[in-house]
Amino acid sequence: MNNFLFRMVAFIRRKLATRLGLWIALFAALIFVLALGFMFMQSRKTVRREAISHATQTLDNTVLRVNSILERVQVATDNTDWMIPLHLDSPDSMFSISRRILENNPDLNGCSISFEPYFFRSKGRWFSTFSLHEGDGIETIQEGNDEYEYFYFDWYQQSKLLDEPCWTEPYVDYNPQGITSSSVIASYCKPIRDAKDQYIGTISVDLSLGWLSETISAVKPYPNSYSIMIGEGGTYFVHPDSTKLFYQTIFTETLDHPDPKRTALGHAMQRGEEGMQQLDVNGEPCYVFYKPLGITGWSVAIVCPEGDIFSGYYRLARTVIAIVLVGLLLMFLTFRRIVGKELVPLQQLAGQAMTIASGAFDTELPDYERIDEIGQLGHSFSEMQHSLVQHIAELKKTTAQKASIESELNVARDIQMSMVPTVFPKHNKLDMYAEMNPAKEVGGDLYSYVMQGDRLYFCLGDVSGKGVPASLFMAQSVRLFHTLATEGMTPADIAIRMNNELSEGNDRCMFVTMFIGMLQLDTGRLDFCNCGHNPPVMDGQFLKMQYTNQPIGLLEGIPYMGETIADIRGKMLLVYTDGLNEAENPQKELLGDDRLLELMADTQSLSSRAVIDKLKAAVEKHRAGADPNDDLTLMCLKIA
Amino acid sequence: MKRSLLLVLLLLAIQIVEAQEKFIFTPQWTPQAQFAGYYVAQDMGFYREAGLDVEIVHPSATQPALNRVFKNESQATTLQLCQAMEVIASGVPMVNILQTSMNNALVIVSRRGVSPLTQKGARVGCWAAGFGQLAFYLDDKEHLEYEWVPAASTVNLFVKGLLDACIAMSYNEYYQLVQSGMEFSEESVYRFCDHDYNIQEDGIYMRRDYYEAHKEQAQKFAEASRRGWEWAAEHPDETLDIVMKYVHDLHVITNRPMQRLMLEEILRLQLDRESGEREFRLRPDMVQLANNLLLESGILLSPVPYEQLIAR
Repeated sequence: MNNFLFRMVAFIRRKLATRLGLWIALFAALIFVLALGFMFMQSRKTVRREAISHATQTLDNTVLRVNSILERVQVATDNTDWMIPLHLDSPDSMFSISRRILENNPDLNGCSISFEPYFFRSKGRWFSTFSLHEGDGIETIQEGNDEYEYFYFDWYQQSKLLDEPCWTEPYVDYNPQGITSSSVIASYCKPIRDAKDQYIGTISVDLSLGWLSETISAVKPYPNSYSIMIGEGGTYFVHPDSTKLFYQTIFTETLDHPDPKRTALGHAMQRGEEGMQQLDVNGEPCYVFYKPLGITGWSVAIVCPEGDIFSGYYRLARTVIAIVLVGLLLMFLTFRRIVGKELVPLQQLAGQAMTIASGAFDTELPDYERIDEIGQLGHSFSEMQHSLVQHIAELKKTTAQKASIESELNVARDIQMSMVPTVFPKHNKLDMYAEMNPAKEVGGDLYSYVMQGDRLYFCLGDVSGKGVPASLFMAQSVRLFHTLATEGMTPADIAIRMNNELSEGNDRCMFVTMFIGMLQLDTGRLDFCNCGHNPPVMDGQFLKMQYTNQPIGLLEGIPYMGETIADIRGKMLLVYTDGLNEAENPQKELLGDDRLLELMADTQSLSSRAVIDKLKAAVEKHRAGADPNDDLTLMCLKIA
Repeated sequence: MKRSLLLVLLLLAIQIVEAQEKFIFTPQWTPQAQFAGYYVAQDMGFYREAGLDVEIVHPSATQPALNRVFKNESQATTLQLCQAMEVIASGVPMVNILQTSMNNALVIVSRRGVSPLTQKGARVGCWAAGFGQLAFYLDDKEHLEYEWVPAASTVNLFVKGLLDACIAMSYNEYYQLVQSGMEFSEESVYRFCDHDYNIQEDGIYMRRDYYEAHKEQAQKFAEASRRGWEWAAEHPDETLDIVMKYVHDLHVITNRPMQRLMLEEILRLQLDRESGEREFRLRPDMVQLANNLLLESGILLSPVPYEQLIAR
């Protein structure tokens, strides 16, 4: 299940058309729910109102009909009972009076005129004349005896205690062969008073209630509705379930299953109230409309299942909900299809973008004739593709040019590197080594030397700027040094001559700082001229110089002063460019002069190459992976 | 010819013996859970197992239970203790062969939610057929000056509001009133058993002369009836099924929930208040109490000794 849901969600997330369709359908569903909910609520209220009106009217009509019949019994009794007090001197006349009522009212079942015990001394304890229809005739008897002491029965006692006319509860005579509904009767009882207005007995007129049961049972305002009638004691006298008649009251079921609503309904009906209550009957919600039956104390109710009352409403609701659901489904499918169709160009575009991304930049795009956002996107994408193709072409060209330049630069580097010596003089008193490492392909640092007998000319310099111009200036400087050193000139004169040569036509104002030395190998005398270059390190200290001089190439004709150290034998001389002491780490921190002197301390025992290797390793370590920020050139020499 | 005559005489003799062995028991009222134990004993075969051929014949309007016993048409019936004592005092020796009730079921219910004892001069319904001796005694003793309204049935009159109060059996009329939608507070129900009037009620009685001649049969009937009640107490649902069968057979106007309540109350009334057990015995103290009350109210002129009631 989870897997299925996961796949569904994944599918919906992948499909924009499905997602849009769902959102639209959901939104429409929300609107439908609100609108239909309101409509159904109002309709339900109207249906309920009409049902109440319909049922109440039906109930009123029924009660009216029943009452009219009951009133006939009352009128028949009233029309006769006045004769009884007039004939008290003749007890037997009561037989004819009771008989006369039945003769005048053939629809009545029986009539008894009953008196208090020993009212007529001559008649003893019991005197109750009772007439009843028997076949086609009327039979009249005296019904009181020791087995039927009538004055203890409800029909007698009720009117006596109430002292008013009243109806008994419907009842059936005990019959060993069984009780049938056709023998259900009710009696209208009226107290008899003598001339002194004293109660002396009761006249009771019996009415068969078969017609009443049929009349009330026939009331059926809805297909599954039914009617009931209960007496004052709550006993069912009319009920579709004949097993409940006389055997159960409206409260019987509450003995096993307490039901406050049913109890309240029973009490309301017992009190002779009129109204409506909602309650569950056999688990089904019902509306019960009830009304009392005149002075009888009985109450009639119509039980209408809610399903019946609202059947039309529910049918309409089901139909509308079905239409809405189908409509929403169709809406979803239609929108999904429309959106899907609208998104086809986007899908094509996505496919072509993938093709272009794979390197096929010249893929032909369709001509977007649409002017909407998707058309604009297509056009933009087409523009982007053209720009991309153009850019790629330019990039190719540039890359080719760059490769050519790189190739040339590599050649230039080789040439430049070939201009500095990698082989050093083999002299038993001299230990010399130098190395140049350009920061880029070509650099502006230089070094060189020339041997003239026991005299060693050497130089190390740093051209201003970097790259190709500096390398060309460096090449010129090296060539000039070689030429002038070969002529046996002093370092200061070499500097003057180089300055004059290089400053001529130096429109770009390039210059080179340079340390030029001339070392007498046999005596250890060092003549040098420092042309604005870093002070070399000798014997662990920066060389103290009297003249710093200008860098070479800036101004023509300026003087350069040379200096001499009488004997440097046994001492190590390090000449370097600022790529050493100004080497930067990633945090742009310089290696520094102090660190340089630290590195040069205790190097007396090392060879020149070992010293240079040590310094290179220190620079590499200081850089900590950072690109070299300047060319690095080192020269170290020592004479014995 | 002689052989045929002998055969006829023999068959006649067998029928006479069978007729003599038939034991007819008549409860004092129409079928209801008040007599559940006897229906159980009959239907579960307890009487048959005791070697008795019992037939339960209910009374009718023309043939009350006592009349049947007096006329030897029934061998046993059920009577309330006070009723039995009245019968004995009237000169008909009766014997109690099994006492089922250990408590009095009589109540007076008042419709106004107040104690019936506070309603002086109230109109109170009682049964025309009797059974109200305790209530009359209370009326006298407490000077309540009730206006007694004897009626065949007090239920409808009370429900219709024509009576202020009425006497009822806690297992019968009380539940009929409840079933008619009446609601009673504890205060509005006066239970005689909760005061100084707890006198046992139902027991099985038979004429003493019959008892003397059929002691073994009487004891077997009492024992099987007791077994029936004990089974009923253990199997109330099945007992109710049996009761309803008798109820339906005679078309008695009642229903199962009503009979369930009646059975529960009858079984409760069978538990002795002191021991909490179903003792099935007539208590001498209660006989004494009944004598006192009946003598005081003038119903008895001389006491009915305990020994005259019990089987010896």
